[in-house]
Amino acid sequence: MIIMENIIKSYKIAKEDLHVLSHINLTIQTGEFAAIMGPSGSGKSTLMNLIGCLDTPTSGNYYFAGENVASYKDEDLARIRNSSIGFVFQHFQLLPRLSALKNVELPMIYAGISKSERRDRSEEALRKVGLADRMDHLPNALSGGQKQRVAIARAIVNEPKLLLADEPTGALDSKTSETIMEQFTKLNDEGATIILVTHEAEIASYAKRTITVRDGRIVSESGGIT
Amino acid sequence: MSLMENLLMAVGSLQAHKLRSLLTMLGIIIGVGAVIIVVAIGQGGEAMLKSQIAGSGNTIELFYQPSNEEIAANPNIYNQAPFSQEDIRLVETIPGVKQVVATSSAFSTVRFREKTSDSSAIGINQAYLDVNDIEIAKGRGFAASDFISGRRVTMISSFMQEELFEGKSPIGEIIRIGAQPVEIIGVLKKPTGLLAFGSVEAYLPYNTWKTIFAKNEITQITLQAESADQIKRIGQTAAKKVNLLHGTEDSYQVINMEEIAQGLGQITKIMTLIIGSIAGISLFVGGIGVMNIMLVSVTERTREIGIRMALGATRKQVLTQFLIESMTLTLIGGIVGIVIGWGTSALISFFAGWPSLISWQVVAGGVLFSMIIGIVFGLLPANKAAKLNPIESLRYE
Ligand SMILES: Nc1ncnc2c1ncn2[C@@H]1O[C@H](COP(=O)(O)OP(=O)(O)OP(=O)(O)O)[C@@H](O)[C@H]1O
Ligand SMILES: [Mg+2]
Repeated sequence: MIIMENIIKSYKIAKEDLHVLSHINLTIQTGEFAAIMGPSGSGKSTLMNLIGCLDTPTSGNYYFAGENVASYKDEDLARIRNSSIGFVFQHFQLLPRLSALKNVELPMIYAGISKSERRDRSEEALRKVGLADRMDHLPNALSGGQKQRVAIARAIVNEPKLLLADEPTGALDSKTSETIMEQFTKLNDEGATIILVTHEAEIASYAKRTITVRDGRIVSESGGIT
Repeated sequence: MSLMENLLMAVGSLQAHKLRSLLTMLGIIIGVGAVIIVVAIGQGGEAMLKSQIAGSGNTIELFYQPSNEEIAANPNIYNQAPFSQEDIRLVETIPGVKQVVATSSAFSTVRFREKTSDSSAIGINQAYLDVNDIEIAKGRGFAASDFISGRRVTMISSFMQEELFEGKSPIGEIIRIGAQPVEIIGVLKKPTGLLAFGSVEAYLPYNTWKTIFAKNEITQITLQAESADQIKRIGQTAAKKVNLLHGTEDSYQVINMEEIAQGLGQITKIMTLIIGSIAGISLFVGGIGVMNIMLVSVTERTREIGIRMALGATRKQVLTQFLIESMTLTLIGGIVGIVIGWGTSALISFFAGWPSLISWQVVAGGVLFSMIIGIVFGLLPANKAAKLNPIESLRYE
């Protein structure tokens, strides 16, 4: 599914190159459920943004579903994000003025899907995450767990190849976190490829593989598919 | 993503801040509204002036402008009527002339019992009634027989009625014009409108006028053409013939409508220029207001932009979204401005009696122009939105 070769990400700060990620080599197969762990500031989010085509590496090759996207332009990256990647964020990132249903419809608007099909598919996605009775609620009228489930519905509605979640339970209590993680497990069982970032071992334990990042390098791996 | 989708989204965003959107539109509303009012009234006025000069019923007036030699030879020339019956017979024969309106005026004191009034007594022929639409408020108008027999009957203006009769019905009363008794058979309607000036007048059939004043002379001759495109030719022919008859060089003339049209065009041009620049400034200021609010909106919605980009919106789509939003803002403002401008000019027409004219070109121009303002002034904010970095935008508090 994804192959990263010698990925480097650096920022120029005060005329000096600050390497946030150095020499990352990473392969994720289709159907995997991987957790990226590591201390704060180690580069987890930066790595996730690269995987999610929100950012491009300073150097190295990144093959996403066979395409080398490392030097892709903004337009192409947007197309890949839209069709092939679903994002779940720590802070839900729902549009506050839109109902749950309309939020879930968003990625399909940019995919150019017709209104009626959008509606059907959004309803189905929301039903899948157990929010059939909350479709017309605004995000404000939903609990944290419900908001995150709307976000998951939005992430899966375009049937992406890859589901990315950066600390999806970071803003939730442990009970709610559990239901969210069960949701991810269920999606993985149905065949979804999932990568999530967390610094809680308990959350990481839902994943089948754990990748640990420290100071911008992958320092250990466990449970990977061989 | 379709235009309709974008429009709905834009309306949704604008509805989220109703008051703000309305206040932002105000500049555009006022600017466009002012333009519409001014253009409507300007065009209405122009049309009215043109029709008055050209004569609404395909008419053209023959007038006498004595040369310096003629004035030197006869200093009293202005007090003498310039035309005679002979002139009428002469111009009547010009092909294309439908009829000739002749009037003769004299100042006279009009008396009813002990009341007197200084009035003009105007002798008219039957053609006058055909060409000028005279509205009668009370009584009846002249009959054909009145003209032929020279009956002692008169129609008076409403102002004369006010002066001599104080609201009482004058129909059937006998007034004295000079010393001669005349019966009132009708009262004319009070003229309406800004440009209608009322005067104290008594109209008489020409033959009546002739016997009362013991004069056989014509003050004014107006030709009515069979069709509009003949007016110019008829006017020139008539002037030439009358000059020949009187042995004058160029003293009898008709109004040169081309010159007047040119003069009018000049005035309109200057007016358009002045008003255009005022409207331009107000729309420019309105546009700056739109730009300002759109910049604020982009900053406020940084996170929304980040989310949309993460979900697959391209920079072009974000740019389009904000352009359409600012365009919708100014378009709604423009449409409201047009409606308000339309209503206001209709009100002005109603109360001031000045015609207003709203052409579809003006409406289309207003719509188009307000859309262009939205696009031009939305470009900077939309570009700012499109250039945002999705990662940083998602982190924006
Ligand atoms: N735009 C940037 N410019 C400069 N430095 C950056 C930028 N983005 C991230 N960094 C730096 O890169 C490092 C890694 O950041 P990153 O957000 O990936 O960490 P993280 O592992 O996700 O941390 P956390 O667990 O706190 O979320 C940090 O030291 C951060 O300061
Ligand atoms: Mg992070």
